[in-house]
Amino acid sequence: MAGAAHRCIESGMGRLMTPASFWDRTEAQLAETPLDLSIELDTFYSQPEYDVYQVRYSTTGGHRLYAWLSVPKDVTGPVPALLRMPDYASVHDIIYTSLRQNAVVMNATHRGQRNGDGAYRASYPGLLTDGIADGESWVLLGAYADALRALDALMAQGRAEIGNVALWGTGLGGSLALALASRRSRVGAVAADTPMPLGHPSALESGLGYTLGEIGDFLRLYPERRADVEATLGLLDPIGDASRVTCPVLLSVGRFDRGTSPVAFAEQLGETLPNCDLRLYDGASEGGGHIHAMARAAWLADRLEIS
Amino acid sequence: MATKADLEAFRTSVTCPDDFDDFWSGILGHLAKEPLEPSVTHDLMRSNDEVKVYQATYRSLDGLEIFGWYSVPAAGDGPFPAILVLPGYKSEPALRRDWGRKGVAVLSVAVRGKLPSSAEFNPGYPGLLTHGIESRETYSYRGVISDCSRGVDFLLSRPEIDSDRIFCSGSSQGGGLTLATAGIRAEIRGGVSGYPFLCCYPESMKMLRSYPYDELSCYLRANPEREAQMLETLRYFDGVNFATRIKCPMVVGVALEDEVCPPETSYAAYDRLAGERELWLFPESGHGNAHDYPKQETAWLEQRIAASKAEWAVS
Repeated sequence: MAGAAHRCIESGMGRLMTPASFWDRTEAQLAETPLDLSIELDTFYSQPEYDVYQVRYSTTGGHRLYAWLSVPKDVTGPVPALLRMPDYASVHDIIYTSLRQNAVVMNATHRGQRNGDGAYRASYPGLLTDGIADGESWVLLGAYADALRALDALMAQGRAEIGNVALWGTGLGGSLALALASRRSRVGAVAADTPMPLGHPSALESGLGYTLGEIGDFLRLYPERRADVEATLGLLDPIGDASRVTCPVLLSVGRFDRGTSPVAFAEQLGETLPNCDLRLYDGASEGGGHIHAMARAAWLADRLEIS
Repeated sequence: MATKADLEAFRTSVTCPDDFDDFWSGILGHLAKEPLEPSVTHDLMRSNDEVKVYQATYRSLDGLEIFGWYSVPAAGDGPFPAILVLPGYKSEPALRRDWGRKGVAVLSVAVRGKLPSSAEFNPGYPGLLTHGIESRETYSYRGVISDCSRGVDFLLSRPEIDSDRIFCSGSSQGGGLTLATAGIRAEIRGGVSGYPFLCCYPESMKMLRSYPYDELSCYLRANPEREAQMLETLRYFDGVNFATRIKCPMVVGVALEDEVCPPETSYAAYDRLAGERELWLFPESGHGNAHDYPKQETAWLEQRIAASKAEWAVS
C-alpha cells in the first residue's frame, strides 16, 4: 500500500508497475490519444443566463466520454471555471450550482458512466472491484486518466476563454480531483468532499460499509487474492500525490463515515496536503451536509474570484 | 431557512382529478393480468454470514423486466417482515444488508430507466421527469410507479416473506414513490418518506432552479403552449394526491434548507396524509443530508416492525 512496502506486479508490458510508472504510462497514453472533441448546444436545457452544451471527447483505451458544459451568456475575457469530477454512480446529470451564472461549469464522466458507456458499462456496486486482482485490468484506474482528460476537454472547448480553474468532487470524485491537481498546475483550487482512500491502507479495513465495502465483498469471496488486490490498490498513492498539490484544498469528511472516507485517512491527507483546510463534521458518508455545502460554495466563489 | 410557520402557510394549487382512483385501479387491474415472472439469482459476492443477497427480477407494465437487490436474513426460514426500498432520481438502488442481521428482508428496486432496468426504457437523467408528459397514458411515472407496485407483488410472491408485514421507505424520488406506493397498495403497513420529490409540481418547479424540477421549466420554455396539458398529466402523479389515500402510519421527513425539493411541498404531502402520521423537521439540513435522518428512519421502522409482530401474534 502507499507509504509502505508493497508488492509490485508484473504488467502486461513486462515491466514492474509502481505508482510512478502507472502515471508515466497514463500520461504517455493520453498524449497518444487525440482528444477528438465535439460540442453541441443543447437548447432544451440552456437557461436565460447561460448556454448548456453536450461535450464528447476521447480518452485512453478507446473510450468516448461525455460532459455537461455551461457557459455564461455575454461574457468576454477569461472566465473562471469549475470542473466537477464524476461521482461513483451511473447517473451523470446537470449538477446544480449557483456559480453557473458567473463561471464556466463542466461536469465530466468517467468511463462506464451513463453517456460515457459506449465501450464499457459500469455497475454500482461492481466497478470498484472490476479487475481489481490485476493492475492491468482494474477498470477504475482508467477513471484517473479520464480525470486528466476532462481538464484537457475543458481547456479545449472553445466557447469561453478559461481563467481560474477549481475542481470539486465527492467520494471517488474527491480522489480524482486531488490526483488531477497533483499533476496539473493549471488547477487553482480543490474542494474535495469525503475522498475515497484508494491506495491507502484504510480502504482495506474490515467491516466497512459501501462503497469501500465492495473490496471487502471481493476479498470474502476470493481471500487468496488479497496480495494481488493490495498490489493493485498500491498503484495509487493518495498521500504521496497530496504532497504535490500546491493549490488550496478544502477537505471535508464526516467523523462517523465507515464507507467512503474513514476519518483516519482524511486526517493524514489533511496533514500532508501543503495548503489544506480540513473540516470535520459530526456526520457519516454525507460529510458536512448542508452546512458544508454552504461553506464550499462560498469557498469556491472566493477562489474563483466571483463576487 | 424555511420555518414551520412557512410550511403551514403554504397552499398548493394541486387538486385531485375526479377519476384519479379509476386511473390507478385500471393500471393495477391491468398489471394483475400480466405475468410477474419473479426470479432470484444468489449473489455470492454480496452475501455474507448474516444475509443472503439475490439479484431479483420481475415483469412490470408493458412487460419491462425490473431489477432489484433482494436481501434475506441468513438465519431462519421466515416468514420475515420486509421493507420495499425505493430509489432516488439520481442514486443507485441501495443494497441494504444492514436489515438482514435484524431479521428483515429488503427489496431495493431499480425502477425503469435506472441501471440495470434500462435496457428497454432509458430516457436519461435529465429526461425521465418529462418523458411522455404529454399524456397520463404515456408519462414515464405511470411505469415507474407500476414498477414499485410490482415490487410489492414480488414480495407477496415469496414464501419466506410475511405478507402482513411489508413496509416501505425511500428518500427524494424514493420518498415520493413511497407515498405513491402506499397510496395504491393497501398491503403496505407503514412507511418513511424522506425529503419527498414528486409533490406539488406547479409550485416546486417555480420555487427552485435546481434539477430535476427544473426539467419541467425547460420543457415549458421549449413548449409553452403545453403548460395546461403538462399540469393536467402531473395531477395523476402528485404525491399530495397519493397522500390522501394512505391509511397506514407514515412519516414525512423535511429538510428546512432543502434546495432540491422545497420543504413546503414535502410538508403539503404530510398535511394531506389520511392515517397516522409523523413529521420530522431537520433545520440546517439540505436535500438528503440531515445527519439524524438515517438513524431516525431505522429506529422508526424497527419499532413498527417489532410492533407489527405483536399485532400479528394477537390477531
